[in-house]
Amino acid sequence: MSLNIRLVVNGRRHTAKINPATSLLDFLRDTLGYKGVKICCNTGECGACTILFNGKPVNSCVVLAADAAGAEIVTVEGLAEGDRLHPVQQAFIDTGAVQCGYCTPGFIISVKALLDRTKNPTAEEIEEAVSGNICRCTGYTKIVDAIQIAAERLQARS
Amino acid sequence: MAKAEYSVLGTSIPRMGGVERVAGAGIYGIDLVLPDAVRGGVLRSQYAHATIKSIDTSEAESLPGVYAVVTAEDAPDVKYGRTSNDRYMLARGKVRYMGDPVAAVAADSEATLKKALKKIKVEYEPLPVVLDAEAAMKADAPALHEEIPLPANLPKDTRVKNVCGYSTLHVGDPDRAMAEADLVVEETYETKMVHPQYLEPRIAATRHEADGRLTVWVNAQAPFGVRSEVSKLLKIPISGIRVLVTEIGGGFGGKATGTHSSAGLEPICALLAIKAKKPVMMVLDKAEETVSTTVRAPVKVWIQTGVNKDGTIVARKAKLIFDAGAYSGFGALAGSRCTQMLAGWYRTPNAHVDGYIVYTNKQVCGPVRGPGGPQAAFPVESHMDSIAAKLGMDPVEFRLKNIPKPGERIAGVPKLRDVSLGETIRVAAEKIGWGKVKLEKNQGVGIATGSWIEGSGPGGGAVVKINEDGTAAVLIGKVDYGTAPRFGIPMIVAEELGIPTDDVTVLNVDTDASPWDAGTVGSRSTLVAGNAARLAAIDARNQLLRMAAKQLEASSDDLEIKDRQIRVKGTPVKALALAAVATAAHNEIGEVIGRGYFDSKAVEAEEKEKGSSPPFTSHAAIVEVDPDTGNVKILKYVAVHDVGFVIHPQAVEGQIEGATAMSIGQALCEQVLFDDKGKTLNPTFVDYLMPTWNMIPKIETVLIKGYPGAGPYGTKGAGEIGCVPPPAAIANAICNAVGVRLTSLPLSPENVLRAIREQKGVEP
Repeated sequence: MSLNIRLVVNGRRHTAKINPATSLLDFLRDTLGYKGVKICCNTGECGACTILFNGKPVNSCVVLAADAAGAEIVTVEGLAEGDRLHPVQQAFIDTGAVQCGYCTPGFIISVKALLDRTKNPTAEEIEEAVSGNICRCTGYTKIVDAIQIAAERLQARS
Repeated sequence: MAKAEYSVLGTSIPRMGGVERVAGAGIYGIDLVLPDAVRGGVLRSQYAHATIKSIDTSEAESLPGVYAVVTAEDAPDVKYGRTSNDRYMLARGKVRYMGDPVAAVAADSEATLKKALKKIKVEYEPLPVVLDAEAAMKADAPALHEEIPLPANLPKDTRVKNVCGYSTLHVGDPDRAMAEADLVVEETYETKMVHPQYLEPRIAATRHEADGRLTVWVNAQAPFGVRSEVSKLLKIPISGIRVLVTEIGGGFGGKATGTHSSAGLEPICALLAIKAKKPVMMVLDKAEETVSTTVRAPVKVWIQTGVNKDGTIVARKAKLIFDAGAYSGFGALAGSRCTQMLAGWYRTPNAHVDGYIVYTNKQVCGPVRGPGGPQAAFPVESHMDSIAAKLGMDPVEFRLKNIPKPGERIAGVPKLRDVSLGETIRVAAEKIGWGKVKLEKNQGVGIATGSWIEGSGPGGGAVVKINEDGTAAVLIGKVDYGTAPRFGIPMIVAEELGIPTDDVTVLNVDTDASPWDAGTVGSRSTLVAGNAARLAAIDARNQLLRMAAKQLEASSDDLEIKDRQIRVKGTPVKALALAAVATAAHNEIGEVIGRGYFDSKAVEAEEKEKGSSPPFTSHAAIVEVDPDTGNVKILKYVAVHDVGFVIHPQAVEGQIEGATAMSIGQALCEQVLFDDKGKTLNPTFVDYLMPTWNMIPKIETVLIKGYPGAGPYGTKGAGEIGCVPPPAAIANAICNAVGVRLTSLPLSPENVLRAIREQKGVEP
């Protein structure tokens, strides 16, 4: 059994024939080649596969590709404008928040979603936004710095 | 200070490879796409201990889409092991834990693979299971490895079973000193098994090339170890194997020791690829990873200390039972380290420690971040507070009273050259507000210290090639997973060559091209590859300057490399483009290739003469305990480390903060749980709790520069030591908050609440 879906990923339209049991994560990685969406726990616990689904951050491993029919998806590959990194991406580099880098795409998406909602997030809002993302390398401390700097830069920009 | 002395060292440049990572463009192992590859998978034992009566693979083999099925019969009869060859890549005759590889399949899809694995019929005869290391030592315990003799160094008349390693330490006359001490304090402690849980699953991919060679892709920390073990296990010459390292999504020692840490994934993959005549890609899912790959071993510790009334430590005795798991793995090595550390890092003139490393029917011990360190420091540093309490002394004062002096010895270090332990304690106490901070009800403050032995180990090399445009390519045998190879190493090369760091590229390991290295382990990346890269860069610089000297009619001693030019110092108009000199090398020496090599021999000789300056650390925490739920919240955390010279402050802080957080996880929530048959009860991330954002406070890292270490420019290893103090620091803060001494990890709400209720005499 298969079904056809249409969706937009990082501004590009895609039409694909999919197996209805395929997760959105596998579809994005294996069919469309967005390998920046990272695979880890496959149970919605670690946040490595976080994407924006109609503007909201979701764990793509626990969403069926079929449910993304008609949706607008943004992955970490869709954030930079040409060679210019998104301020959240740049902040992760500048603060040393990227060690192995495996959790980084998911984290960046969660933080971008937060800063899209509010330019001046409170500590509670930050905690809520990233509590579903596990980082095993940094102890989160440098990521705290990254979020702060990204928020400041985005505020200065607007 | 550093900035004046050096051009780039001491600054935090953007991490090499950072842009790819934030853009989602880094190719990790799991992102590999090999044309025409089929999928491989492993059938693992469903018993923790059993003999294999028969394996029937015929049904699996006849499934359409199955390319190969392999069992031990397909592999040479060769065992592997680190301290004892006690393990086959695929089980032969017996399985010893529920994760032991029994057979493997290569198939055209994940679905076919799963179907085929189910069709393999294995007939087992279950054997009694032993999961507790102390029980495994007893005479009536089932024997796990009948053919392996007990360690030759065991004291005569020791009646034990299943012991695969024995380590001991003896200084002075501990019996007499203990008998004469004013006060003797005796306790027992326990830590649980934890899994490193790096986020990127382990992979292996193999292609049998047309020329007969094997190409093996790995996300492993020790590619040369993988090469030698694949060679040994499949009886293929080293020259027939090429190992390529992908980007690596975390490791923490869990991807460290060649094929050991993966339970033979790479040789199994190679065996499948040869039989299938197709490239094979294997990926472990997280649950499979937790049950099959290497872990931080659980320990039981009995510890006894004799002190005088004034707080002077006079004697220490301890016994360690270290659970190696089903095979010796890294157990004897981590267990030996743990044994040494149980004597502490304070002045202890009389000590005796026995360490028994024991087989059980569980996952195998690996070199997880600071192997043996947290397991020793949790007892030692909790015990220090218990002793201080009995003496009526302040814990900081008690520790400072027993700081060793230069020239003295501590366990594992025969002679100390410089001791920064006291300074780390004083700074940590000051930063946390020791004795000053106002604590609310149920809040407490705790401190714990640690050391880490900058042990000797194998050497390693580096090659620095100068391209004709004046840029440099660096080949080392260590891999980048957020570690030195793409933080400090390019800075070292840039510094010595006088070129911008952007002009330096550090390549991923390719065993055909990169210099041999034992692996990215033991806090040794900067020590080994950093020293080697520095020497290689100096060698390359000297070659460049010699060639330029002829053209500039100057002595090479008077030349410098600056602004991509080679010029006469003080006379910048007399200059040649660096690119022109590098290009001219094509017709003089072929190419400028600098070589460097480092091993610990020179360091050891110097340390023997003058003593060594191991890294020390003190961590301090303020916690709040909820007396109704047992939940522990860390309100403030300070990590003070002596790391010697700092090449990249952000990277060093990041290593310390990461190690600290990982250890806070072990302290507060992490453990691998088993049922009584040896089945892991919490293999997935749903049940295996790890710290998320809300559990970890913002860690305040303070770097103090003690006496220079053995690394380049005086650095000391920093990747592991952060794991050492956290469990005891938090346990001590809990004790300060609510007056209960927890002697078993994790310090979870359940365990804390039970301890509080027991203390109150309430039914737990």
